[in-house]
Amino acid sequence: MTLLKVDNLKVHFPIRGGFFRRVVDHVKAVDGVSFELQQGETYGLVGESGSGKSTTGKAVVKLNDVTSGQILFEGRDLAGLSRKEIKPFRKDIQMIFQDPYSSLNPKKRVLDIIAEPLRNFERLSPAEEKKIVQDFLDKVGLSPESILKYPHEFSGGQRQRIGIARSLTLKPKLIIADEPVSALDVSVQAQVLNFLQDLQTEFNLTYLFVGHDLGVIRHMCDRMGVMYRGRLVEEGKSDEIYENPQHIYTKRLIAAIPDLEPEVRGEKVKLRKKLTAEYESSYSKFFDEDGRAYDLKPISPTHRVALH
Amino acid sequence: MEMKVETRKNVQVQDVSPSGMKIIWQEIKRDKLAMGSLITLAAILIFVYGASFFMDAKEIAKVDFLSIYLEPSSDYWLGTDYGGRDVFGQLIVGTRNSFTISLFITLFTAIIGLTLGLLAGYFGGATDNVIMRVIDFVIALPQLMFIVVVVTIVPVFNVYVFILIMTMFLWTGKARLIRSKALSERELDYIHASQTLGTPHWKIILFQLLPNVSSLIIVNFILNLAGNIGLESSLTFLGFGLPESSPSLGTLISYARNPDVLENKWWIWVPASLMILVLMLSINFVGQALKRAADARQRRG
Ligand SMILES: Nc1ncnc2c1ncn2[C@@H]1O[C@H](COP(=O)(O)OP(=O)(O)OP(=O)(O)O)[C@@H](O)[C@H]1O
Ligand SMILES: [Mg+2]
Repeated sequence: MTLLKVDNLKVHFPIRGGFFRRVVDHVKAVDGVSFELQQGETYGLVGESGSGKSTTGKAVVKLNDVTSGQILFEGRDLAGLSRKEIKPFRKDIQMIFQDPYSSLNPKKRVLDIIAEPLRNFERLSPAEEKKIVQDFLDKVGLSPESILKYPHEFSGGQRQRIGIARSLTLKPKLIIADEPVSALDVSVQAQVLNFLQDLQTEFNLTYLFVGHDLGVIRHMCDRMGVMYRGRLVEEGKSDEIYENPQHIYTKRLIAAIPDLEPEVRGEKVKLRKKLTAEYESSYSKFFDEDGRAYDLKPISPTHRVALH
Repeated sequence: MEMKVETRKNVQVQDVSPSGMKIIWQEIKRDKLAMGSLITLAAILIFVYGASFFMDAKEIAKVDFLSIYLEPSSDYWLGTDYGGRDVFGQLIVGTRNSFTISLFITLFTAIIGLTLGLLAGYFGGATDNVIMRVIDFVIALPQLMFIVVVVTIVPVFNVYVFILIMTMFLWTGKARLIRSKALSERELDYIHASQTLGTPHWKIILFQLLPNVSSLIIVNFILNLAGNIGLESSLTFLGFGLPESSPSLGTLISYARNPDVLENKWWIWVPASLMILVLMLSINFVGQALKRAADARQRRG
């Protein structure tokens, strides 16, 4: 079942300038992106910094205004809804933020942080509320006494768990995870990722997983889309893309993954050189005269590539 | 580590965010000057407000031609002025009036500045544009001329009118300060998180944003309080302040415009000047300590 369908999404930010602060140009942060999320799967968005991954994710939770296109959640279009009309959907779509330091209000206790969504949607007595918060704290592996502490008393990984608990309290169907581990220590990253997968099974969650680390994405995601300058350049099963990349940008992205074994390092360097040459020689095969990637074309039932 | 244990203890005792107040208190305790200032300030205010409660304002303002310009004596501790009015009594009432005026001006400007600053900063865009243009307009007005005109055309010029007109001009700085802080806060993810959690705007502004600008407000409030005491006095001195029927520190000092008073009748204006000096300095010292406390908090993150 299709849970989320993003169709030709465009998010353009105005650039203002001149004396009257008129709009002089637009940043095309997202410029015609389409993909679908099936119920229960994890879909990854990868790409370099500034490619529009976060903007896409934020558009789905309405943190950005949508310039054009559709965001169909369970068949209903969210793109045109006002803040009031979107409110019931907030329960179903939640977000986990990249930075566990700025995403928790430093002046609030853990209890108030995690209970915030509950207070918006449900009328609970303080005791019931406390019970629920403690249950979720338990689920994310934090002690029940944590509820009266402040965020600065926790480590980055623990904070991220608090953020995750907060996003779970409303029992959402879809969670947008915007680089949920990139601010964390490598030793905690795997822990949090596995834990996200456990939660997925337990709560039957669908993830839209944003990241720039192909390794992480491959580990987490069933399918993924590769973004480049606000466009999707390749989409398919994670293994397909990893083993058999078709678009030059994807190839270079995979070649850029640092290798720890010294024997392959030399090969990698050669591969990168070859790809750079290919990029220059076959540029027009992948990008039109404005440097914009072509629309996606299927090359197999599951694999789509932006080719001419 | 030490700090961690401490805050934890705290948390169990108190329900609302205690760390801010506690840090401020510690900072003041550590700073001898601020502590002394705080005690001086409290003593003066308690005395002034307490004493003026038992004084008859009319009695003090009553002209008595039989005792003009008397030197300090056991009857009149600080002598009398050209109308035979007790300077000590005027000093008490004047201090109270000056401080009250300053307090209200600071309070009102804080409320307006806070409201508009938070709205402009949080919503940004068109809201911000409108509010900023209004601020530009108010700043562009020739303040002193405006005040002179109001003083001349208003039928009764009293404390309330004075507070009102000063508030009109002085809120802009606060609004700008709060706006710039709110603008940077709203880009932080905890605000975005609240938005995706379905929290209404007004709740986000009051319960998420406001607590995070509060240290800034408190410091600014205290420093403004000191500034506004001086402001009232200087305007009175220039002749655009309050009438003699409502004595303020400025009224007493403005008598020194008369060269004879300035040279020979020190008891009329020196105590009031000293009072202003002491009040402004001690409020400022406390404010400086608060400022440091707020900075340390920011450093700790
Ligand atoms: N509010 C905004 N106003 C103007 N431009 C914006 C805004 N938000 C994002 N952009 C621009 O849109 C582009 C895409 O940004 P986005 O944050 O989506 O990138 P990203 O793929 O998430 O990168 P990263 O990996 O660094 O997080 C960038 O060029 C950015 O400068
Ligand atoms: Mg991002």
